[in-house]
Amino acid sequence: MPEAGAPEPIARLIQEFSKLPGIGPKSAQRLAYHVLKAPEDDARALAQALADVKERVVLCETCFYITVSDPCALCDEEQRDPTLVCVVEQPLDVLVVERTGGFRGLYHVLHGSLNPIDGVGPEQLRIQELLRRVEAGQVVEVIMATNPSLEGEATSMYVQRLLQPLGIRVTRLARGLPSGADIEYMDDLTLSRALEGRQEL
Amino acid sequence: MAARPRVYRAEGVILRRRNLGEADSILTVFSGGEGKFEAIAKGVRKARSRMRGHLEPLTRSRVLVAHGRSLDVFTQAETVDAYRRLREDLDASAEALYCLELVDRFTEEREPLPELYALLLEALSLLEEGNGPAVTRHFELRLLALLGYEPHIDGCVLCGDRLPEEETLLSPGAGGLVCRGCRAETGGGRIVSVPVVKLMRFARRATMAEFVALEAPTEIEQELRGAVAELVRYHLDRDPNARRFVEGVSALHPKD
Repeated sequence: MPEAGAPEPIARLIQEFSKLPGIGPKSAQRLAYHVLKAPEDDARALAQALADVKERVVLCETCFYITVSDPCALCDEEQRDPTLVCVVEQPLDVLVVERTGGFRGLYHVLHGSLNPIDGVGPEQLRIQELLRRVEAGQVVEVIMATNPSLEGEATSMYVQRLLQPLGIRVTRLARGLPSGADIEYMDDLTLSRALEGRQEL
Repeated sequence: MAARPRVYRAEGVILRRRNLGEADSILTVFSGGEGKFEAIAKGVRKARSRMRGHLEPLTRSRVLVAHGRSLDVFTQAETVDAYRRLREDLDASAEALYCLELVDRFTEEREPLPELYALLLEALSLLEEGNGPAVTRHFELRLLALLGYEPHIDGCVLCGDRLPEEETLLSPGAGGLVCRGCRAETGGGRIVSVPVVKLMRFARRATMAEFVALEAPTEIEQELRGAVAELVRYHLDRDPNARRFVEGVSALHPKD
């Protein structure tokens, strides 16, 4: 909302800040006045960073990860195993899987998960692109790393069914107990799957 | 004014989830006692949340809810049934999601509908046992009936005349079957075959399990699906979103 009395540029900045997630009108005001008092270089750096994000960041045409060059650095890395593709819902999920250091294949970002009730269907996700990528040949295994939620599972099952005729291996991440959790409060689904996936000590 | 209790219990099926802020979700629950209601699950998107797995959509849970200033807040949750087999079957999940969406769209908040709740549980457990779309057909027809939208199928809805045993017009607008003589007075509808009318009549007196056991031929089932879809569309003034998903999923592979 425009601040009564605040000069127009400030009011505009407040309004822009308040569009950000988790920023209410008060926080937006505080941020705007902070920018006003900050050195001009800082403000320019912020403006430039914002502009760069929109101008320079694109989606990789192969895996749909966010990148400044197409193909992205991950797709371009020669040591990676092109027969393995890990499918995730969001770009940030790529970073999380990368952080484990245990995966040396390629990625595919769907940009969401199926949510039939809210009208998010396969055509809103990068599912056809995944199909085409697999059809192109090299891929041997697709690892579904979608969220263990109703939507994520539905997405995995849908992709599995779509890729089935191609005869490649489709796997999904194991489900079990998160570290630091409490058995007492574990839900039946997680616990029963954890039990099935138990391992020798 | 007597202080109202600070918390209440409910047992219901989680219909849908909307994310709120960083770690919270707003969940819509359809319960037997309270009807449909929304409440906030705080911190439920964090890995260590104690309620997380118990408040997934398509889960039947027992919950404890505290009255909040604007929205109520879940304080405890425990799974009654996670419908695991259903969840792990794409076709069954699609049917179930469609049923959940129907409940969500056809009901108002805090309007107790214990019979509809029982019907939903029945549908979910029959889907869990591996039954197919016939569950959804019976569910749709009974839902319409329970909410007062039951089509009149014993004779012409306009003049009351008995109907000959032949194809008849089913007019959602008129509220049921329409004889040849009255057709001009309706705003359209769909011609349904004799077996479909019989199936609709059977659905009225049969339990869901009996209806599912009947195993109508595929083309009759298809026709019934279209006819019921038209009734649903008329009363909701739209098609439920999940219908496209059900169709997309079954188009992807003929189940065999």
